[in-house]
Amino acid sequence: MLAKGVKRPRGEMEGGDPEPRDPSAAPASSLFNISMVKLHQSLRHVEPNLRHLVLVANTLRRMQDQMQREAGGPMAPDSPEAPSVGDDLLLSAMDSSISTILEDLGQVEVLSPARPEEEQPLAGASGARQEPARTSAPCLGPLELLSSASYLLEDSLEDIFEDIDTSMYDCDLWSPTSLSGFKAFSGAEDSDSKALAGAEDRLDMSDLDYLMDVLVGGHPPGAHRGRSIS
Amino acid sequence: MAGVAGGGGGGGGNDFQWCFSQVKGAIDEDVAEADIISTVEFNYSGDLLATGDKGGRVVIFQREQENKSRPHSRGEYNVYSTFQSHEPEFDYLKSLEIEEKINKIRWLPQQNAAHFLLSTNDKTIKLWKISERDKRAEGYNLKDEDGRLRDPFRITSLRVPILKPMDLMVEASPRRIFANAHTYHINSISVNSDHETYLSADDLRINLWHLEITDRSFNIVDIKPANMEELTEVITAAEFHPHHCNVFVYSSSKGTIRLCDMRSSALCDRHSKFFEEPEDPSSRSFFSEIISSISDVKFSHSGRYMMTRDYLSVKVWDLNMENRPVETYQVHEYLRSKLCSLYENDCIFDKFECCWNGSDSAIMTGSYNNFFRMFDRNTRRDITLEASRESSKPRAILKPRKVCTGGKRKKDEISVDSLDFNKKILHTAWHPTENIIAVAATNNLYIFQDKIN
Repeated sequence: MLAKGVKRPRGEMEGGDPEPRDPSAAPASSLFNISMVKLHQSLRHVEPNLRHLVLVANTLRRMQDQMQREAGGPMAPDSPEAPSVGDDLLLSAMDSSISTILEDLGQVEVLSPARPEEEQPLAGASGARQEPARTSAPCLGPLELLSSASYLLEDSLEDIFEDIDTSMYDCDLWSPTSLSGFKAFSGAEDSDSKALAGAEDRLDMSDLDYLMDVLVGGHPPGAHRGRSIS
Repeated sequence: MAGVAGGGGGGGGNDFQWCFSQVKGAIDEDVAEADIISTVEFNYSGDLLATGDKGGRVVIFQREQENKSRPHSRGEYNVYSTFQSHEPEFDYLKSLEIEEKINKIRWLPQQNAAHFLLSTNDKTIKLWKISERDKRAEGYNLKDEDGRLRDPFRITSLRVPILKPMDLMVEASPRRIFANAHTYHINSISVNSDHETYLSADDLRINLWHLEITDRSFNIVDIKPANMEELTEVITAAEFHPHHCNVFVYSSSKGTIRLCDMRSSALCDRHSKFFEEPEDPSSRSFFSEIISSISDVKFSHSGRYMMTRDYLSVKVWDLNMENRPVETYQVHEYLRSKLCSLYENDCIFDKFECCWNGSDSAIMTGSYNNFFRMFDRNTRRDITLEASRESSKPRAILKPRKVCTGGKRKKDEISVDSLDFNKKILHTAWHPTENIIAVAATNNLYIFQDKIN
């Protein structure tokens, strides 16, 4: 189990080789970071380039699958079990975050410039249109995972983002409808999901730098070192 | 040096060479964003060539009549009409600006003296009528020659206005505006062979329109998942079959093409044919999906084949064979080892288009460094040419270019690392019957012709 507080580097913890086991895993982590940055940049637009977004998200999922396979695959025999469990949870948390990001795009339909009464005959049997007051049921899945994960990781997910200035998210441009799903959950998930899923996300470069450093494994205190991302 | 035979005119299969003909656009090193050409399209006869740019403007060039005193020099293309097709719009509800960039232009077949084309930005399609006026009426009763109303008491006799010749004026007027039907960004429009309907495709939906009706469209494909979090695939291009008015295809970001028959059901969510080449397991990487994403799909003129462009290759498919393409051409395979950098700088997401020549014997597509590639389907020869100011002397023969992929770089070769990835040729067009090509290089339009030996 991880103790709360200083996060030790992965190499130290496992007592194993800090070098990536697989030569391709080193570039994978930087690719992962680049992809996350791209995802955030894409979401800065009110109407993101959907093709770009989907391709980056799919690539992220691919990397994540690879990491999961590596995490579950050949491991040093003396490595404790907890990190791999935490790895999986962090990875699935990432996955659910990607899904949540995409889920927000469902709001695009509601805010479409087409007048609602015109949209129906125009688009025929168009896809499910989100109710303005979105019930929390559909999004319970991914976010529930986060809330159950946090007790194991002991608020460490929150720690990733605690140094990020969240005042930028207290913004009038946020429609109440898109946040209604998030309001159902506790503060820990809120900041995490807002940070990752914010369509109005305006992380500036210094915050992103910090986030990337944390995820890659640069900084100590307060920072939950992204140990699963090697 | 042998070029790629277009065979569009008469002598098919003869070796010939491509020559510079014209270049349009500013020479400045400083390129204004609005001047970047975003689409190029010849009309059905090839006499008109339309370009659209990021600033929402359409420029139409017309081919001059052949000069009898210089029979060997083909007609030049000169500006025929320029108009502002789309303006930037502000969507107040979403607080975002809708770009005026022209994504596609498609001509309608000519039915009378006027010319019609469809132009589209991300959200709105417009039908433009381009007509000539070379006469004007003179001798109105109720108004003066300068348009001022005449005092009715001064009119003592009636006269019939007469038509007098005037300097040719080309007018473009919007005849139809097809708006509010796309939530996502429009990537394609395609005129049907019935000449009455057309389709427009965005990332998730395809709509069918009648050219006369602007307040309604029929949704024929909808791939939006019930939960957006399940979204993994978008539509990247769509086109009607050139002869069968009930058939169209659309391509996806996952490298698949679906052929649909509108007779089978109203909502064509279920395809009639599904084209996909199985992934080569040996070349699998994180970027496999991105590079397989199809950026353009074009039917051959014959209607028997279709061509798709993905990031590294062009594939020709026989409509009767769904499991693999019949021909694959590598455009710039040397980029495969650079995919990581190209992903970082977003070049891997560039959407290259492709086109057929008039006889379907050759295909063309663009690359980086202002290079473009042509493939002869019969001889299997390919050539790389460059659109540059350096080789822009009248009727100068274009020299084939070569990219050095490793080892010793020969003279005249360019190494992969020296390629300018900002100079990308995304849009090219081939004259419907002759060997004349239009190549858009950022803000310049190059026109090349063949020179028969």
